[in-house]
Amino acid sequence: MGFNQLDPLLHSQLRLAVMSLLISVETADFVFIKEQTESTAGNLSVQLDKLSTAGYIEIIKQFEGKKPKTTCKITPKGVDAFDTYVKEIQQYLKP
Amino acid sequence: MEEKELTPQESMALIQSMIGKARKRYSDNSFFFLLWGWIVLVASVGHYYLSTFTDFEYPFIGWSLTIVGAIVSGVVGARRGKKSQVKNYTDKMYAWLWFSLGMAMFTIVFNGQLIGWNTVPFILLLAGVGTAVSGAMMGFRPLQFGGFVFWVLAFIAFRQPENYQMLLLALGIAVGYLVPGYIMKANFRNNGV
Repeated sequence: MGFNQLDPLLHSQLRLAVMSLLISVETADFVFIKEQTESTAGNLSVQLDKLSTAGYIEIIKQFEGKKPKTTCKITPKGVDAFDTYVKEIQQYLKP
Repeated sequence: MEEKELTPQESMALIQSMIGKARKRYSDNSFFFLLWGWIVLVASVGHYYLSTFTDFEYPFIGWSLTIVGAIVSGVVGARRGKKSQVKNYTDKMYAWLWFSLGMAMFTIVFNGQLIGWNTVPFILLLAGVGTAVSGAMMGFRPLQFGGFVFWVLAFIAFRQPENYQMLLLALGIAVGYLVPGYIMKANFRNNGV
């Protein structure tokens, strides 16, 4: 089936989970995303970088006191890509 | 979370579950309702008592507590915002709603002399808007009910002298802020929702 024409950046379990989380919030902390997606810090970092390179999310690195704090936010491009992905998935699911 | 090839059904289920996780996280805002509930209750009952039963020159002295309330709200709100791991649009709307209403209330009270100090009915109306909309945003009926109580009391307050308006304000704040505030606090403590 032509399933491979889906956006490969989104058609991956962890990246899709991240995008689904970010679509409904304004910003989310790295720790929050890690907990909710039950992922490891290393793997999550790699996937977030991929999404950021594609321009789907924005990664904001700040310091809170002495502790680094990474916050993620979905971009308009990311919202469009997510929307398209969901529509395509719905096409596959149509009986 | 493992990496594996997703089927369309799995994709959809994953999207739905993650959206649900993000959406469920409402903040416990009971602190603000209780803070303002007690400030307004003390100030309005004090105002009624001092103006009705004493010759004290400044019966409105209790309202200076609102300055403390505004500072505490600002500091606690900013600190919570920094600490929170996720920023919901609901929280942002909520903060702006109350900030705007606070500014509107301040404007009315500041210019109170120009409307013969007939400020309470307007404060009740604005508090009703904030309470009902907050209730609807959180799906929390006691607040929505509180909003209606504020509106009914505003209707009555327009027809009362200032010292009775203070009692109506005290009643409104007890039903519209304090009761829902304590219910909200208990809900969060017991169920975390």
